[in-house]
Amino acid sequence: MSTPSRVLATVDSGTATAAVSLIGRAGGRHRLLGSTAGPVGTPVEALLERVRRRVAGADPDLAQALGIGLPGSAADVPRLASRTAPPPQLAAIAVTERALRPLAAVAETAGWQVRALVVQGADILKLATSLADGRVDAILAGASEPPAADERHLVAELGNLVAAATERRPDLVTVLAGGLATPGGRTESLFREGRPGATVLAPSPTDADGEPLRAILDGLRGGGDDGRRALAVAAGSLATVLRRRIEVVEIGLAGGSRTLASWRPGDRASVRTGSVARAALLPRSFTDEILDEIIRWLPIPLDRLRTRDRLREMAACPWGDAAGDGAVLRLAAARAAAARLLARTPAMDGLPAADIVIASGGAWQAAPAPATALALADVVRRPGARALGLDHARALAPLGTLEDEDARLRLMADLFDDLLVPLGTVVQVAGLRPPRSVGTLVVRGSGDPMEVELQPGGIDLIDVPPGERATAEFRFRDPVDVGTRTKRVDLGVTGGLGGLIVDLRDIPMRLPDRLEPRRELLAGWQAPTWPGLGQ
Amino acid sequence: MAGAHVAGARPVTGEPATDWRDEIPRRALVEAGLETTVPLPPGDRPLVGPGTAVMPGDLLLEHVRDPRVDEVDVRLPEGERPLAGGRWAPVPGRRRHADRTADGELLVPVPGKATRWRLVTGDHRAPTTSAVSGIVTEVRPGAMIRLRVAGLALRGTLAAGATSRGRLELATDPFGELRPGGIDVGRTGSILVVGSRIDAEALTRARAMGVRGIIVAAIAGKDLRDFQASERRQRAALHMPEPFGVLALDGALRRPIATPVAALLERLAGHEVALLVNPPALVFDGSAIDLPEVGPDWVRVRSGPNLGAEGRVLEPAGLWRFAGGVHLEAARVQLDGEPSPVVLPLCDLERFG
Repeated sequence: MSTPSRVLATVDSGTATAAVSLIGRAGGRHRLLGSTAGPVGTPVEALLERVRRRVAGADPDLAQALGIGLPGSAADVPRLASRTAPPPQLAAIAVTERALRPLAAVAETAGWQVRALVVQGADILKLATSLADGRVDAILAGASEPPAADERHLVAELGNLVAAATERRPDLVTVLAGGLATPGGRTESLFREGRPGATVLAPSPTDADGEPLRAILDGLRGGGDDGRRALAVAAGSLATVLRRRIEVVEIGLAGGSRTLASWRPGDRASVRTGSVARAALLPRSFTDEILDEIIRWLPIPLDRLRTRDRLREMAACPWGDAAGDGAVLRLAAARAAAARLLARTPAMDGLPAADIVIASGGAWQAAPAPATALALADVVRRPGARALGLDHARALAPLGTLEDEDARLRLMADLFDDLLVPLGTVVQVAGLRPPRSVGTLVVRGSGDPMEVELQPGGIDLIDVPPGERATAEFRFRDPVDVGTRTKRVDLGVTGGLGGLIVDLRDIPMRLPDRLEPRRELLAGWQAPTWPGLGQ
Repeated sequence: MAGAHVAGARPVTGEPATDWRDEIPRRALVEAGLETTVPLPPGDRPLVGPGTAVMPGDLLLEHVRDPRVDEVDVRLPEGERPLAGGRWAPVPGRRRHADRTADGELLVPVPGKATRWRLVTGDHRAPTTSAVSGIVTEVRPGAMIRLRVAGLALRGTLAAGATSRGRLELATDPFGELRPGGIDVGRTGSILVVGSRIDAEALTRARAMGVRGIIVAAIAGKDLRDFQASERRQRAALHMPEPFGVLALDGALRRPIATPVAALLERLAGHEVALLVNPPALVFDGSAIDLPEVGPDWVRVRSGPNLGAEGRVLEPAGLWRFAGGVHLEAARVQLDGEPSPVVLPLCDLERFG
């Protein structure tokens, strides 16, 4: 689709749910008419019909004018569709642990589920069995460039192992990186010519922060409509339209992604992205460690065995149990997943902080907006102020599949207000000295000024409605870090459903180790954002 | 355009294109053409090839129980090259001391030695037979054998243990729970349907009594882990135990077996069935029974507070606010045994068909 038509649909098919929306041209520009989501497997036509029915009910004239006035008519509108599949599996193999670590780290951010294998000291039968496993979709083999002294004597063994795996499975895609990637070199010559699987020579994982290798690996998975790649494209377009730095934290059932997009005058947006299988809401290899990470964020009394069983139920029926305790459990799992995502993309922490953080993906959808805002603030912890938004219609990824960049920018410029639910603004401060009061805050908006005494270690939720702008005047007793080190700062903040979140908790977050005090603390923070939590 | 699709062929009829009940997640009661895989790790010898038709009890592969790696000299005629995954056997009458080894599968060449290969072999080999009838669609040495199963399959959500076959017996009603004392040797060779839940102790007793499999609505994570640990110990023993599998139809939290599934299992009672582990499913001969019919408005609560309840869906209720301030699409449902309809999230419901 080069030029967006009068009415179109977006369809984002995930591994757990599918989200659809209808976009129509009204009043000289495109508007988001409505959106909904349903369990994967629900016919897209049924979901589109649900949206169409509501649009026709709310504004019959508009629906008629757009040609979606009649039942069934939405099924025929042009669609922009993205699809997110469960991450494929990649066996990353190197001679030594030291050589493997950067390989596996890069592969982990390219959307693959990584099985890490080391040749040195390993049982050769176990290695060969792992590489031949039918669940492995590709092999990444690498060595330092040039191979280090402790690698050289086993590089030939590594080459033989990988070549043997391709003889068992000729269709296996194989990537040779770093010291193994000499064109026409000894390792490449071990592979049979004319086999159906590709052999790709790739740069070392230490070149340019691993970005060239990551791009190659990312390109080897998913189809042309891959949802996570499309989301990164859409983030770049949104950054250009808004002229802001944007960070998208996307969490889905089978994986997560983090994208940082920066606008540069007169140039295309710079986009850095990482797609991490381990950042899934419920990773395929669900370990006790992951269970502990989720329990760490639970504000409700659920014992360990019961929590594990509830999470197993969620894995079997990811769209179910979305209200009450189920929603709280889901958001705890989303927090843990986002924390894993951020921990596995440390290279992005060194880039300039985003002005807007956007939550995207199915994991964030079934919770009240203020609870989602607080969840983002819990895990994305950097001194400074940033606006928070939610990709509520999950329309960003489908819009990213629009190949014509100009058309995509035009559509985004029309739609950006509709695409994001404003969750509010979060201000995070580092360098506070507990336990006494550290200063005051005066919020000046459209109503009377509001004054707040600032207590370290806590959060204040201040009502600034969506669409409203306010000035937050911070006066600290000692210099603190609010993105810059200062005692006095006035920040322009935008409102949202979560309002202004003044977050004076530790950066990074420190929670009590003991269960009960931690649960009480979390419940205290989260209670204002969940109506009826714990009832 | 990568993701665009224009559905231009269908005329706008003016009639609803879909029934609103299509918005309720649908679960197939049975399915045909299921594919299952049998592990074929390096060293195991496949005894079938693509296209082979197999019946229950037919040999599929020879499993090496004590795999070890030997080194052998592989000499082939000029121009031929040995391949990993190929079979190798010593040349009769030309055994040298260094190659005094059994036959096996070529694993990987030894670096720096042109004709030297590592070979997976072993002394104890056990035949593995098929639990189902079907067609072999793929054989990947060192990985797996893939079979397209003949007959119909009832899918579960998880399975543990081994693929097995036996006579289906109903041990409890759909709401029941089987205690260890309720299993005796009279159940030998059977696959038991045990209702809503079973614990690890009852599972290990069932295995000891010669039961071939258990079908249950739910199994708690703790019991599953205990059973899997026990199963690993059994498999490590010198003598191969009889195959025993557990199939959980729904998940981890207690609930009765769904009425349509219970009706199907009742009709299968006394018939030979197979319990598959990968994927989790019960396979049976579809021609032997009439499948139960399920009304289009019959729904079951798949998750949430009314877990396991069943009833009839009446009408859509639109977007509804539920506990915790969460807004979800909902429907009005008349649950069995309840005096009046309740509003439930669509995503907590499932219907069979």
